[in-house]
Amino acid sequence: MFSRGWNRKLVAVSAALLIGLSGCGSGDDEASSEGPVKLRFLSLAWQKDSLAANRELVDKWNAEHADIQIEYVQGDWNSVHDQLLTSFEGGDAPDIFQYESASIGEFAKQGYLADLSGLLSDGFKSEISQGIWDTVTVDGKVVGAPFLLESQVVIANKKLLDAAGVTVPAAGQAWTWDEFQINAQKLTKGGTFGVAWALKSPTNRVMNLSLNFDGKFFYTDGGKTEVRIGDAEKEIPRRIHDMIYVSKTASPDAVGMGGTDPLPGFFAGKYAMLPGGVYLRQQMVEQAPAGFEWVTLPPIKGTTANQAANPQTLSISEDSSAKKQATQFIEYFLNPANQARLAQGDWLVPTGKQAGAELVKTTGGKQGWDVAVASAADLTIAPFQTVSGYPEWKTKYATPALQQYFANKITLDQLGTQLVDGGKQVLR
Amino acid sequence: MTTFAEARRRSDRTTVYLLLLPALLPVLVLSVVPLLRGIYLGFTDARAGRNADTSFTGIENYRELVNDDLFWSAFRIGLVWSFGVTILQFVLALGLALLLDQPLRFRGFARVMALVPWAMPPVIVGIMWRLVYHPDAGLLNEVLYRGGAEGLRHNWLGDFSTALPAVILVGIWAGMPQTTIVLLAGLQGVPRELHEAAAVDGASAWQRFRSVTIPNLMPVIIAITSLDFIWNFNSFGLVYVLTAGGPGGRTMLPMLFAYEEAFRYGNYGYAAALGNVMVIIIVALLALYLRRRLREANA
Amino acid sequence: MKASRTTKAFQYIALLGYMVFLGFPLVWMLSTSFKPPREMVEIHPTLVPHNPTLDNYVEAFTEQELGRAALNSLQVSLATAVLTVLVALPAAYALARFKTRLGTVALGWVLLSQLFPFVLLVIPLFLILRQVDLVNTHAGLVLVYVVWALPFALWMLQGFVRNIPRELEEAAAVDGATRLQTLRRVVAPLLAPGVVATSLFAFISAWNEFFFALVLLKSPDLATLPVTLARFVGVEGIARLGPLAAGSLMATIPSLLFFAFLQRRLTSGSLAGAVKG
Repeated sequence: MFSRGWNRKLVAVSAALLIGLSGCGSGDDEASSEGPVKLRFLSLAWQKDSLAANRELVDKWNAEHADIQIEYVQGDWNSVHDQLLTSFEGGDAPDIFQYESASIGEFAKQGYLADLSGLLSDGFKSEISQGIWDTVTVDGKVVGAPFLLESQVVIANKKLLDAAGVTVPAAGQAWTWDEFQINAQKLTKGGTFGVAWALKSPTNRVMNLSLNFDGKFFYTDGGKTEVRIGDAEKEIPRRIHDMIYVSKTASPDAVGMGGTDPLPGFFAGKYAMLPGGVYLRQQMVEQAPAGFEWVTLPPIKGTTANQAANPQTLSISEDSSAKKQATQFIEYFLNPANQARLAQGDWLVPTGKQAGAELVKTTGGKQGWDVAVASAADLTIAPFQTVSGYPEWKTKYATPALQQYFANKITLDQLGTQLVDGGKQVLR
Repeated sequence: MTTFAEARRRSDRTTVYLLLLPALLPVLVLSVVPLLRGIYLGFTDARAGRNADTSFTGIENYRELVNDDLFWSAFRIGLVWSFGVTILQFVLALGLALLLDQPLRFRGFARVMALVPWAMPPVIVGIMWRLVYHPDAGLLNEVLYRGGAEGLRHNWLGDFSTALPAVILVGIWAGMPQTTIVLLAGLQGVPRELHEAAAVDGASAWQRFRSVTIPNLMPVIIAITSLDFIWNFNSFGLVYVLTAGGPGGRTMLPMLFAYEEAFRYGNYGYAAALGNVMVIIIVALLALYLRRRLREANA
Repeated sequence: MKASRTTKAFQYIALLGYMVFLGFPLVWMLSTSFKPPREMVEIHPTLVPHNPTLDNYVEAFTEQELGRAALNSLQVSLATAVLTVLVALPAAYALARFKTRLGTVALGWVLLSQLFPFVLLVIPLFLILRQVDLVNTHAGLVLVYVVWALPFALWMLQGFVRNIPRELEEAAAVDGATRLQTLRRVVAPLLAPGVVATSLFAFISAWNEFFFALVLLKSPDLATLPVTLARFVGVEGIARLGPLAAGSLMATIPSLLFFAFLQRRLTSGSLAGAVKG
């Protein structure tokens, strides 16, 4: 095999490969001083419709703006954080990138994001409510343009609801938690659970829903932040826990499920109701078996109907050399008509009021769009979103503790202690 | 000593360096330099950030590390994981390698099938195994259901006691190809006359295996089990997709822990310190293992 | 030395068991890639789709440039495999045959480089490549992959070299061959299984590597297969299973073909009879 001729051939081949690779493998050079401004846009759209909408809008922009050309790069949600971190630290960040308000906070604190408050027009800003703007404001700087919201609704199996005599509430008539739990009881019979709580990522769920009872978890007194677990904070965990283990109206198996894992059981009639993000409606439309009837129930309310807002955002990196042009693109990309289109493609709710109204008009409010758009009004900023060290507290202490609690391995008081102690460790 | 031997030795040395040079240069730049930097970071307070200053803090990180219960708990799980996966993987792979060495029909096809875990893109491996373990619609529960063992259906990844074993099984599956291939290649190096001589002496297959195959295979076995142990200890991508370290931290691997320190909380210095400590402990374990094995091999 | 009938039967059964355990995902991918979205959520999944469809393949190939990504991956992986073997073979020989201090240091580095969590090395590595202007190039990627594959390659090959008796080389030297000729004519052929295993390993490491390819390559037309396939997985790990399975199947087949091509070389002639008295 390794005769003289072979050896020479191998060396030649590999040399050619390397030369060929270095020659044809180079990507774009830095933007030259003449010619169009080239901006790199990292998008996280991944659903078929959403992808098509994103690409179409970028193509349209490029056709109409020869002087500002956008290079569309598709990222993915599961690796984008590492990708962004590495590219920030390596000095090679995309000019515009999509992400979410909960996660850009730390990038902002690390100094990597541009302040958009001076760049965005007033018209754009007035479309979105102040509570939402607060979620993207860090140290007085606006670090992202929020455009897509996810609210926690409940998707229910209409046939099972009818059979149990439970009336479907309309958009403005949300159930209270007590009503929700009573109805779950009515629906639990003959092998069917009333509810499936998919709690693979329990911390965000609990933090979001706890605003229903004004459970803040993080309290700041004169510069020092600590975790406090009072009655308000205990409400949501206790209610969920009791539904699983006391009234047994929620499936214990579903606790480890995330995302779309409960769907097979839901479609098979094993679970009657599925609390989850409003984007789940897409799976209903795409994957429900023929003849399956589903409805979107408005978000459950406690003392308030508030939930934590974590909008998807478009941000500009501080190192970008063309921030003004990038802002122009963002304002175009997120104008009311386009925002409505993007939201529709992702089955989420737009942040802009006009966009929301347009969406309801286009869809006729069907497929839960009336409930979805209406639910956006109750989304606002929660204390945990501005705390430094929340990711660490969440991953190291809160998630394991909540998982243990929802697996019935520890008591509510022990949960409280673990959360408070974790807070002391992290929030030093 | 003749001058011929001396001249030969001199030309030997130049040959050596010539042989090593292509490997040396890129390795130095792309491996040694980042490695040294990574080790050094373990003695600083490096953090993520555009204008973050890094200053030398000596053993501060290590003092913090000693009291980090969460890390040590993850480290214990990491040891269970590594030992479990490496040992079981080795046993299974040896069996497969022996089979693939036999003149069986479909041997070529079987060899290619044995490499499927390697050929599949990692992104789908994790997703697929999650679906296998899915409590409602998973393959495993479905097979049990169809096989009439309905009672054995389980919430494999969600249950606190079955999560780690379930994840270990996936680790074994994913690492079979490299171990099998190396062992198979190693089996080729066992001289056939030794087998024939032993057979002529009346040794059974098992005795031949023990006295001919294993001793000859020993260097390869030592090498691949050590490497496998290291790789398994360092892997976390698969487990992350399966359980994200849960439930309740039951599958939190130390490398995942260090990764989150660096990439989620931005504590580069502390994460590097964790890395340094893990390296030292693993090196110590390996040294024990290698010394014993080498002593046995040379006995 | 012939195995008895029962042993043979047992061997076939064992082999079948292994095949099922290792190969079932291939069947699963095949089955899933032809299923419409409705069938992904059946509570009792079936092997054969009720309403098979080609939509997933169409979607996978039209939405993402899978063909281009596959070509990129192929280019990078082949280059990695070839270069790794070329660089590692002579170095492994030197390490195995000569007891130099450099050799011990090298072996120490081999161990250390595998042990240290590589995720922590990504950023310094990226910065170095930026300095030499190799960011966003395939060449930079190949360079990194080769360096990553070298430890395993060196360890493997030098172990194989050690296994070859010195007498063979000495016999060739007596016959008048230089060191290099001995290396090429006598030693290398006997290393075939080791070389095959090494090139398989290098190829596959490059073929499947995700993170560094994601971070190093910015231009969409340079993207490799793993990066492209990851785009079918969205928020909270929800995956578009149909196109993902279709794309993954397309990504698995070239590797399997490469293996099929090489696997014959895994069994070479043994050293029997090569050593004269």
